[in-house]
Amino acid sequence: VTARQIVIVGAGPAGMSAAVTLAETGLRATVIDDNPRPGGQIYRQSAWPTDEPAKPDNAARSTTLSDRGTLLRERFERAAGKLEVLAGASVWGLFPPRTVAVSHGEGWELIEAGQLVLACGAYEFVSPFPGWTLPGVLTPGGAQTLVKSQRVRPGKRVFLAGTGPFLLVVAHTLLAAGVEVAGVAETARRRDVARRLPGLLANPRLLAQGSRYLRELRRAGVPIHWGHVVTSAHGADRVDEVTFAPCDGAGRPDGRRQRREAVDTLCVGYGFVPRIELHRLAGCEIAYDELQGGWRPALEHSLETSVEGIWTAGDCGGVAGAVAAELSGEVAGLGVARRLDALDEAGYQRRMANLKPQLARVRRFAQALNRAYLPPRRITDLAQPETVVCRCEEVTRGEIEAAVEHGGNSGRTIKVMTRLGMGPCQGRMCWPAASRMIADKTGRRPEEVEPLSVRPPTMPVCLGDLMQPRQEPQLSLSPSPLPCSSN
Amino acid sequence: MQSLPDFTDFARLPGSRGAALSFTFDGQNVPAYDGETVAAALWATGRRGLRTTPRRDEPRGAFCLIGVCFDCLVRVDGRANVRACQQPVRDGMRVESQRGENDGAGGGP
Repeated sequence: VTARQIVIVGAGPAGMSAAVTLAETGLRATVIDDNPRPGGQIYRQSAWPTDEPAKPDNAARSTTLSDRGTLLRERFERAAGKLEVLAGASVWGLFPPRTVAVSHGEGWELIEAGQLVLACGAYEFVSPFPGWTLPGVLTPGGAQTLVKSQRVRPGKRVFLAGTGPFLLVVAHTLLAAGVEVAGVAETARRRDVARRLPGLLANPRLLAQGSRYLRELRRAGVPIHWGHVVTSAHGADRVDEVTFAPCDGAGRPDGRRQRREAVDTLCVGYGFVPRIELHRLAGCEIAYDELQGGWRPALEHSLETSVEGIWTAGDCGGVAGAVAAELSGEVAGLGVARRLDALDEAGYQRRMANLKPQLARVRRFAQALNRAYLPPRRITDLAQPETVVCRCEEVTRGEIEAAVEHGGNSGRTIKVMTRLGMGPCQGRMCWPAASRMIADKTGRRPEEVEPLSVRPPTMPVCLGDLMQPRQEPQLSLSPSPLPCSSN
Repeated sequence: MQSLPDFTDFARLPGSRGAALSFTFDGQNVPAYDGETVAAALWATGRRGLRTTPRRDEPRGAFCLIGVCFDCLVRVDGRANVRACQQPVRDGMRVESQRGENDGAGGGP
């Protein structure tokens, strides 16, 4: 077991910001990220560095998110000498109190962290519907990754569906990449968004950026279908058509008014879910907040979790977007610096006094957005009895509901009865939808359904790799759900 | 050796890339560039389905492309259950689709 004073998991806006903040106070953090380059999902860099967009001159002129990302990455790269960065390394376990298991190109090791900052981000929530497992159906974030990181167009004619401003961001990216955007089906009605205008004015810049995207899409002739939902994707081996229809506020489609659109690609996503596997393994207290993506760690104002020495920054602490992530990374970094006495109380209080109102403002904006674009309450009813919900184990809605009828009522019981959540994704993709289905079926709210348990490895690791650690293993591990072998 | 149709002209955006290379997918030659992932390179050829599922024998392809959904599992140089979206391409790499294999049977061929 190697020891490090500070470990940060994740090099998105939150992790980079925490690392830079710590470096400024003279502390050296170890940053672990599974991508080859820093930036996270939102500030994802192209795989080829040469034709990056022109760099903004300074922070004052920075108006767009991508400028903000470029500036933060530059600060992170300038601080590189004061950091230890493990890129392309996956954290697949956490053993209390603060030991993380990391695998990388050369094997794996255990790193015991004095202070641990979890900045693992979020992933997309996709509610199941007939055809959602067809090849060619992907998340909006997936499409964004293909274009931004790999410079590959996801398709020739693409339809986007779901809810949230990220759909417009991706539609805009696709349009700029020369892809025909056949339409955007947004479950929120325009008036749902207009009603949240007071809160959205908390961040006029981002609001303006959103309006600009909308204008540009309209100008390009992209139909934005407010109050519409995609009800099915069709195709034999890949998607070639989608059906969408107007829906009510609960997401229930009006079947009589459905339409079809021929496309080669469908992007669908209903917002983001905090990534809290490591928090759960650490035993951090969690709380449910539908306006922040569901289950999230309970946090002090300092962004310390209920476990001493474990801090949280960014969307894994509650979905609030990239600006909030950057600010919260600074808050967590300052907290760690104060704890380690690299910062005196007066200095800490001074900087927090400056940060707190900024963070409160961007969170107000995020809450207004999340309220306007909440996944509709009956969205999981798009799934038919034979629709697969758990993509890994191919468990259908009918099987989940049959299990509920036989007494299943929690993550644990449903998992045992149906295998839901037993596959390699460990329920990350299905649980947000499955918990809603179980809640509906048992007359409860999703947060009243006991979530799936989390066990290491949270990411499948090769059994062969586990037998060849760089350090002697100190712990007995539960077997990997994904054995892999070489020949 | 038969080659998959190359849609590079449309699918790949203009701009610099890494060195041209090639790998095989189920025995067919796939053109690619250093720095691409297996999922992106196959996507660029127009390929969408990467495996079939064990229970329902349904086609699946890349879905999240950030490494969390595990739907894009392929066999790479004999090693099963590799996420195509996280695996960088290498010249001469042998990639195979997993046909109806479940996790437990995911050993070498």
